[in-house]
Amino acid sequence: MTPPHEFRLSHFQAMVIFALVISIAFGFLSRRGPYKRARYILWSFILFLLIGVGIGWAMYPFSH
Amino acid sequence: MPDEVPVAETTDAVPVAQAVSPYPEPAQDRHRRDALALTIAAAAWLLPGLGHALLKMWGRALVCFSTVALLVILGAGMRGNIFSRNGEDAFAKLGYVADLGAGSFYFVAKALEPAGPDVSHANGDYGTRLLATAGVLNMLAALHAYEVARARKA
Repeated sequence: MTPPHEFRLSHFQAMVIFALVISIAFGFLSRRGPYKRARYILWSFILFLLIGVGIGWAMYPFSH
Repeated sequence: MPDEVPVAETTDAVPVAQAVSPYPEPAQDRHRRDALALTIAAAAWLLPGLGHALLKMWGRALVCFSTVALLVILGAGMRGNIFSRNGEDAFAKLGYVADLGAGSFYFVAKALEPAGPDVSHANGDYGTRLLATAGVLNMLAALHAYEVARARKA
């Protein structure tokens, strides 16, 4: 049974949260100005997801 | 004799662009700034966001604090492994270094996990990664605050 304070996330949910949090942190640390930051955060978030899903598919044949 | 002498011929003053101090920074000032930068880096490591707050970079301070806090809360809530000093192998030792990077939040994570880690499920494994990420992210933020304090970055 899951205690009330325990989080249960799927692999994809954990990856999305990870990508979002890291993108925001990188965007604020490496860029100045709201426009540049927003663009960097969005671009970085999309790349995190695409590369994550791509690596997942690249490993798929080895799991069978 | 002309009444007005052209300005360029009156003085041999250097142009404005070259008027910036050509002298190196005094060693005492440099040492003081280095010491201040180290103090800010230590503060940034100890409490995420504090280094940037001391530098009056409020947005970055808020983001550093909230992202590290969120990762620690999620990682501990997913019952990720918080490595201790007595790691058996190199990976456990590296994990300890990464976890310790979160500064005081390392102990917060321990306090949030009274039942201890559970890596028998994938969920706990994801939590371990999130906790390590929180530590590494905080170290990166502390390094950024250090560089800003040394006036190497904006």
